[in-house]
Formats: sequence, structure tokens, C-alpha cells
Amino acid sequence: MEPILELRGVVKRFPGVTALDAVDLEIAPGEIHALVGQNGAGKSALIKVLIGAYIADGGAMRFLGSPYHPRTPLDALVAGIRVVYQEFNQLPYLSVAENLLFERLPRRFGILLDRETLERRATELLNRVGLSIAPGTRVEHLGIAQRQLLEIAKALSTTGRLLVLDEPTATLTPREVARLFEIIRGVRASGVTVIYVSHHLQEIFELCDRVTVLRNGHRIETVAVAETSATELVRLMVGRRLEAAAHAIEVAASEAGSAAPPTLEPALRVEGLRVRGSSHGISFDLNYGEIAGLAGLVGAGRTEALRAIFGADRRDGGEIYLAGRRVAFNHPMDAVRHGVCLLTENRKDEGLVLPMPLRVNLTLTDLARVSRAGILRARTERATARHWVEQLDVRFRSLEQTARELSGGNQQKLIIAKWLFRNASVLMLDEPTRGIDVGAKAEIYTLLRRLAADGKALLVVSSELPELMVLCDRIMVLSRGRLVGELRRNEFDEERILSLAYSEYMTGKKNPDP
Amino acid sequence: MKRMRRVLAIISLGLPLVLFVASVGKAEDTKKPVIGLVMKSLANEFFKDMQEGAVKHVEERGDLTLIPVGMHSETDIDTQINAVENFITKKVDAIVVAPADSRALVPPLARAIKAGIVVINIDVALDEAAKKQAGVSLAFVGPDNRAGAKMSGDELAKALGPGGKVVIIEGNPGADNAQQRKLGFDDSVKDGKLDLLDSRTAHWETEEANTVFSNMLTAHPDIQGVMAANDSMALGVIKAIDAAGKSGQIKVVGFDNIPAVQPLLKEGKLLATIDQFGSQMAANGIDYAMKALKGEKLEGWIKTPIKLVTAPGS
Amino acid sequence: MLNENRGIPDQVAVSEPQRPAHAVVQRVLREAGIGIALLMLIAIFSASAPHFTDESNITNILTQITINLIMATGMTFVILIGGIDLSVGSVMALSAMVAGLVLKAETLPVPVAIVAAALTSVAVGMVCGFINGFVASFWGVPSFIVTLGMLNIARGGALEVTNARTLFEFPNAFNDFGTATLLGMPAIFLVALGLVLLGWGVLTRTVFGRLIYAIGNNEEAVRLSGHDTFIFKVAAFVISGLTVGIGAIVYMARLTIASPILGTGFELNAIAAVIIGGTSLNGGRGSLIGTFLGACLIGVLADGLILIGVGDFVRQMITGGVIILAVILDSYRARIAERTR
Repeated sequence: MEPILELRGVVKRFPGVTALDAVDLEIAPGEIHALVGQNGAGKSALIKVLIGAYIADGGAMRFLGSPYHPRTPLDALVAGIRVVYQEFNQLPYLSVAENLLFERLPRRFGILLDRETLERRATELLNRVGLSIAPGTRVEHLGIAQRQLLEIAKALSTTGRLLVLDEPTATLTPREVARLFEIIRGVRASGVTVIYVSHHLQEIFELCDRVTVLRNGHRIETVAVAETSATELVRLMVGRRLEAAAHAIEVAASEAGSAAPPTLEPALRVEGLRVRGSSHGISFDLNYGEIAGLAGLVGAGRTEALRAIFGADRRDGGEIYLAGRRVAFNHPMDAVRHGVCLLTENRKDEGLVLPMPLRVNLTLTDLARVSRAGILRARTERATARHWVEQLDVRFRSLEQTARELSGGNQQKLIIAKWLFRNASVLMLDEPTRGIDVGAKAEIYTLLRRLAADGKALLVVSSELPELMVLCDRIMVLSRGRLVGELRRNEFDEERILSLAYSEYMTGKKNPDP
Repeated sequence: MKRMRRVLAIISLGLPLVLFVASVGKAEDTKKPVIGLVMKSLANEFFKDMQEGAVKHVEERGDLTLIPVGMHSETDIDTQINAVENFITKKVDAIVVAPADSRALVPPLARAIKAGIVVINIDVALDEAAKKQAGVSLAFVGPDNRAGAKMSGDELAKALGPGGKVVIIEGNPGADNAQQRKLGFDDSVKDGKLDLLDSRTAHWETEEANTVFSNMLTAHPDIQGVMAANDSMALGVIKAIDAAGKSGQIKVVGFDNIPAVQPLLKEGKLLATIDQFGSQMAANGIDYAMKALKGEKLEGWIKTPIKLVTAPGS
Repeated sequence: MLNENRGIPDQVAVSEPQRPAHAVVQRVLREAGIGIALLMLIAIFSASAPHFTDESNITNILTQITINLIMATGMTFVILIGGIDLSVGSVMALSAMVAGLVLKAETLPVPVAIVAAALTSVAVGMVCGFINGFVASFWGVPSFIVTLGMLNIARGGALEVTNARTLFEFPNAFNDFGTATLLGMPAIFLVALGLVLLGWGVLTRTVFGRLIYAIGNNEEAVRLSGHDTFIFKVAAFVISGLTVGIGAIVYMARLTIASPILGTGFELNAIAAVIIGGTSLNGGRGSLIGTFLGACLIGVLADGLILIGVGDFVRQMITGGVIILAVILDSYRARIAERTR
């Protein structure tokens, strides 16, 4: 059978790096083809060349049997390629419906917006991806997962021949992922070919037909999913760094049980914490030397709880005790002063000052320590920054390199480093490994375990249950703003956690807050 | 907090309106003739004085009610047009206007005339062609800026003699009085056989005149005399001469006779300036408006006095 | 720098490393672009404009850029945090009028009056700056709007103080400062230069300056790192007010008058100097060295164009063109930064 898409020797160079080095690729019609590789392996570059966002420096492409050389994303659209981007291209101040149908808004008399038709069509599309929100909602009010689904709905709003999904599940809960897979299978059944990019290997085994592994801009291998295994794929992806990557997770898991016993006084005690607009109070303890997980569906109030404890958002009520002493965190400043820190889910916008050097990002949490009388001591600052980034094994070229130039995993390590520099003793981490590749994930796990072993208290929010189960000593489950259960390590069970997470949604009550 | 801000917003929007309405009500209470005075920028001392002079004059006369309206800046033509239209609505008996633009004000003033309102034009004459087009003729009570500038310029020509090298510092390009004064200076240059090296605008402003003249002096180190279209600019020029260490070597003439140049006149740093008795100009206009209301026929240019002011004892 | 490379393992952690050549181009564009433009301009005028290189003309240029340089220094702080201050020209007039009244107070001995006037001027500027910063930060109102309001308030205040009269006949000791020279340079220029150097030191060498840049780049990240960003945002406006107060005193000394309409349009000149100097209107990027060069460029251009006899209107057009060119240059710089991600 002739391939629907064919790449021959495609090359894409950037200053100082060859992102794609003579890549050959054949996509068969009607298949779901996975693209895997670590960050920087060339997946994004390949997709961007494919959709005309980058122009290839060499090689040839054929799509639907004829030469295909897109120069703009519009060319790709016209040719029949639909893309769900990793970064959202949404207009936050317009409604969901307007975003969905932006390119062809239904009109009345040629100029007036036909709101009725618009909302009807939008509702159809939203139903298709199982997103139950009013089409008139403004996009700025949506959560990240809802935006992701919206992006998918948009790609499906017109019929194409090839659908490209770039990390579509990074922000989704398992239920939403399952729903997405149904949709993708449906799309395939209607004759559309799918390219699926993901870090989640189990998703690939669940969904895809064939998988291509990229590493350092080279195509390493294309195999049928049925004929390979996760270990094999990881081996192909990481090359000779197999050892570190493949075993780190297991190591992390084995270390988890051996955490220091909880001290008498909890590091952090939260009593009756009410996030804004929620009627439920949350109470829990977090001990030194442990990693506690906070599980729940998207919108269960996990992020909100962390932000409220940290003082980043206002809260309606509740008390916080730190090592037995009552504290008032009204501003992140207060929390930081007491050694409590928050690593937000939105690393790039909230965790780092991307355009500024590593050095600056690291010392930002405690400038007093690298200055005297308000004047920075350049040498001390450099030495301090170097010490901490090396301590946490951040891979960097120069301390003057901007944070933006680091990969996701190294950015996360830099954020952890900046809090350790600040002597944080309680670390709250929101989705600490989102968008980070397998190898780096393992490193982060190992690092977090090490911190717990050093006596720090860690509170982790994650949408990936396996991650929490590997990492945590116990898992607390939030359902619709209410703390509905807590499981010790020996009780961990994916099904049980999920049923707890869904428990508050089963009772038929209307969701009080979006 | 939000509600408080909203209340404040409503007050800040509504208050001027209430005051305005209140002032209208007051004006209509009386049987005395009502005259609207449309002024230029009250940020300019010249017009500030003119308005104060008018208010004082009206108090002395006591036989009319005056509603003065000022503007925020020299070029705020809209405010003037709105003021004229408000006066038409209020049915005032006469309007005395110092137009910010000699053409844009003609149509609303023509409407006022058609509504039976007496209009007296002061300070700057309205454009002849525009008046003809609108089919109105009205009296202009004001000084002859061109003749005034010529008097000032002639004083410089007399001091320098034929062949004297001079520069002109102009007012806002496009402003009528700036153009008239420039023409007057040009007349002086021609009659006095002066050598005009350069002519540039400093937009009536002291600091800009200082900068522009410093640069002119660099380009033409042999400048002997300066004609500045107003005294504020003359001030800037004199500071530049001082800074260049040429005090007394370059003669300066100005226009307007503002208080700030009095010491300079005394010291001889300013050779001459022109007093056009601005404080009386609006008062004069009001007097003529009253005459017209009593049936006197007024037409053409009623020139107000101008006087050359030189150093005391020279 | 390359010896710092600890060998990036075969996992390409850095997705697209910055090529040194690009980094150099970027640096040159950012730091030296405006300097090169200024040197070229100076070269052109030196060759074509008579008397351009005369000592007296150089003194002229330095005197003429002084006030803009002082205002632009404070403006740089405000623009670095992503704000804008449109009120500087009007606040300068208000400062000058109030200070002028103090200066003319007959009850005070001259030296006391001069010191009191200077302090008053600076205080008035700082209070206006504080109000700007506080309102903008506390209520999250765009500083464009707040300072536009302040522009009118301060101008009205300046007119109200003396009922629109111009103040003059200041003490001679005060006026002499306006024309004094030191080390062959105008004393008032040295004041400006001192301010620029001080500001540069603060921005590059202190914790305060570090946070100004960081807030301009990503305020939320700085807040979540445990800093009270509010104080720093207000402080940037207060600094702008401080420089305005100093500018007002320098203006009065130079022209020996204080008029309530002085400073009209100065805000645009100050903003132009900052932007031509390569500081991004989005905040977080730029330097006072750039601002210094930007103010010099505007001053040299104005001076040189008069010397070669370019007419008023064409001169205005050329100045406008240069501002647009600078912004185009800035967008290229942003694009190069983007590409080297």
C-alpha cells in the first residue's frame, strides 16, 4: 500500500544544532502512528516541518501521492493536515464557540454573526470530545485540561486526511484520556490517518499501530507496536543511557518505602482550609521526611488548595500550622519566609523568569544571601548558583544561559534548586513532571525521594496516578473540593483511588464551582 | 471598594455637568444682556490677563452678564466650537470670541449670527475667504500683529543698521498671529535692508527657543540681532546668548511685554517689545458688543492700540 | 564560556543551543547598535555640518540633552517594569512652580531658599510618582491611564499655584548654576551624568535593580518566589518622580524662569530616548547606557540638522523617522532572541 505521507532525507538545521538529520518516515493510510523520543529528539521539529511552521533545509516530502512542501501552516491546512498543538493558539477573550469556529463563523445576511448556528455547531463539536461547557464561556475561564480538549475539538471541526496530535494527554485525567482515545479511534474509523506524539508509553501500546523512535534528530527505528515492549522503546529512546533511565524508577520505588519515620510534630498542619468559593474545609497533616500525594480529577481543587496554602490566592478560611506553630500566610512572601514553597504546574509562566539567566533565576528566592547592604556580590552569586545547579545535576552550558534554553526536566530541576537554596523545608509540587521526558522524570523522582530522605516534607499533586503511586508514602484524594480519603502505601490501588476521586461526582449534585 | 469607585466615577462625570447647568440657570435669571466670552488657553498668561480684565471691566460697567469660557490648550478648537454652540442654545445676546482657528470657527459663528446673536471677533481676525463663503461679515476688534511686529523689528533694524545679520524665532506654524508677526518681521528685514540668516519655529516655548537659538548661533556665529515672535521665546534666546558669553553683543526684540521680561528690558538685554494691551482687548470687544446691541452698526477691522516698549530711559 | 560546557550528554537537554555567532550578533544589536548609529550620525555631521565639532557646539549639545537625559533616567525604571509615565512633563511644571515660590520666598536667606527649593521640587515629584505607582499597582489600572490623569492634574496644579503667572527673578546664585561649567562641561550635564551612572549602578549591581528587571520579565514568577512586587512597582514610579523633580530644578536654573506651561511634550522625548536606547516597552529588557545613548542621539540629531540648515518641518519628520527606525530595530532584536531560543 502506498504511504499517505512519505519523508525522504528531511533535514532541519538550527544555529548550532541539527534538529532533523536526514529523517525518513512513512505513514501508512489509516494507521495511528506514534512518534516517541526524549525532549530534543526532534519530534517537535518534525511536526513543525510537516505542518509548514518550519521550512525543511533539505529532503523531500510526499503527501497523498504528490510532492508536498508546505511553506506556511495554511498550506498544510489546505492539503488536509489538522494539528492539535502542544501550545494553545486560543483567543482567551473570545467564547469557546467563537474559538472553535473562528475561521468560518456562521453569518446572517453576509455580515452579522449568526449566534444560534454558532452555538449549535459548537455544542456538537464539544459533545464530540465530551466537553460539557457552555459554548458561550470565555476561553480565559477554562482550565488547562478543558483548553486541551477544546483544541482537539477544533482540529476535528473540519475534515482532514491526517490528524497530528502533539502531547494531547499531558493535562488530561485518565477518564478524559479514555474519552480521547475513543474519539481518536472514531476518527481513524472515518478514514483519517493519525500521528500521535506522546511521552506516555502505555498510551502508545493502548492506542497505536506502529511507533517511530527519534533520537538526536535521527530516526532510530520504526516498529509495529505489537512487536515491541516498553523497555525496548525506552532503550531505543535513551540509547546508551539506558541504565540510568530504566532503573531509576524502580530505584525510586524501592526507596519510597524506606522513608524516615514521621516526626511527632507535623511539618505542615492544615485545618479547615477553604479555597475561594468552596464550601468544604480541607484538613490534613504533612510530616517531615515523607512525600504525600494529592490525587483527584481535574477541577477537584488540588491546585487551588496548594495555592491557597502558599498564600498565592486568597482563601475563605482555615488555619495553617508550621511545625506546631500557627502561621498566617497572606502572601507568598510569608510562606517563603517560613520555608514553605510552591512549584506551580505552570513552570514557564510562574516558576521561572525565562528570558533571564540561570544564575538570576536561582538566586531570586534569596537575594539577601548573595548581597551585602543591597548590593549584589557577583562572585558569591556565581559560586552559589553554580553550586546549586551542579548539586541538582542541572545540565547547562553556562550560568548566563537563559532559563528558556533549558529542557523541561532541567527547568524543573532549576526550580527545585532555587527553593533548596532558599532552605525550603516544605515543598509543594504541582504536576512536577508534566511535559518532561521519561529519562528526566526518573531523575526528578530520585531527586524528590532524596529530599524526603533528607527530612524535607513534600506534597505532590499529579494527574498521573502511577506517578503518585511510585513516588508517595501516602496519597490523599480530593473530590470536588472535599478530602474524601487517604491511602497508605500498602493500600495503593489505582481503582480504589479513582473511585474515591469520582465519589463526589456520583451523587448527582450539581458542580458548585467550575 | 468596587462600589465606591463606581460612585466616584459617577460623581466625577456628573459634577461638571451640574455646575454647567447651574451656571446657565444663573445667567438666565437676569434681564441684563448676556454676553458669552470665548477665550483661548487660560494657561497662557496673556489670555488669563485678558479674561481677568474683561471680568473686572464688566463688574465696573454693571449693565451686563458675562459668561467666560476658556480652553486647556492653544489648539483645543473643539472646546471653542462647543462653547459657541452652547451659547446659541442658551440664546445669549452676544458672543465675543478670540478664535483658536481662523477658519474652523466661522461656520458655528455664522450659525450664531443667523440666530440673531451679535458676534464680535477679537485677538485674531477670522479668515476673509471663510467669512465670504459662509456669507457673513462681522467686526474684528484687535491689534495689528503685523504692524506690531514691524514696530518691534524696526527698532532692531535701527539699532543694527543696514546689513545687520538677524534671525527670526517664529511662533506655532499655522497660528495666525504667528504668521502675522512673521510677516511684520519680514517687512522690517526688507525695509531695514537687514541680512536674514535663518528663521525657525520654537513653538512659543522658552526651552525650545533656547535650544533652537543655541544651534542657530553655532551655525551662524556672526548673528547680530534676533526677532522673537513672543517674549517667552525671547527669554530663551537671551539665556542662550548669556550661556554663549555674548551678552550685549546680540540684540533681541520680542512681543507681548510680559512681566518676566521687565528686568531684561531694564538691563538692556531686551531691546524692545510690543504691548498690545491684551488685558483690555476682551473688555474692548465687550464694549463694542454692547454698542452693537444698542443698534450701532459695526464692520471691518476696529484696530486696538499697540505700543512699542523699550528700555526705560532709552 | 565554552569551557563551562560539561559535555551535554547524548540526550540533547538543550533543545536548540544558542550559536555563539548569533549570541554575538544579538549582543551587538542590543548593546552597541544604538552606539554605532550615534557614531555614524556624529561622523556624518562632523563631515557635513559646519561648526558641529566646535567646543561651543559640543557644550550646547550637552546642555540641550541634559533635561531629557534626567527624565529618561527615571522613565527607564518605569518602562523596565512594563509601565509608562506620561505625567513627567506636567509634574515637572508643578515641581518647578512650587519650588519657584519657595525660591522667591523673601523670608528665607538665599542659600536656605535654594536648598529648600531643591528639596521641595524633588518631594513634589516623588509624591506625584508615588500616587501614579500606588494607583497603578494597587488597583491594577494601566499606568498609561493613571499617568495620563496625573498629566492633567499636575498641569492644572502648576497653573493653579501662581494662577498661570510665570515666576522669574530667582537669586543670582541659583541662576549661575545653570550656566556654570566644571571640568569643561556644563555643571547641569554633570548632574544628569551622575544620575545616569547612579541609576545604572542601581539597576545592574543591586538587589533592587535585579528585581526591577525580573518583575518586568515575569512579575508572577517573582511574586511566587516570595517577593512583594508591589513595593518595587511603586518605587519605579517614585524614582521617575525623583528625576522629574531634579529636572525641574535644572530647568529653572538653565532658563531662570518657571512657567506653568513648561515641559509640555517632554514625556514623549523621554520615552523616545528610552525606546531608541533599546529598552523594550514590554519591560524587563534594556539598560540605562542605552537610554543615555538614545538621549544623545536625539540631541545630536536635533543639533546637527539645524546646523546643516534642514527646515523645521523636515527636521520634525526626520526625528519621527528615527524613532520608528529604532522600534523596527527593536523588533528585529526580539525576533533574533526568539529564534535563538
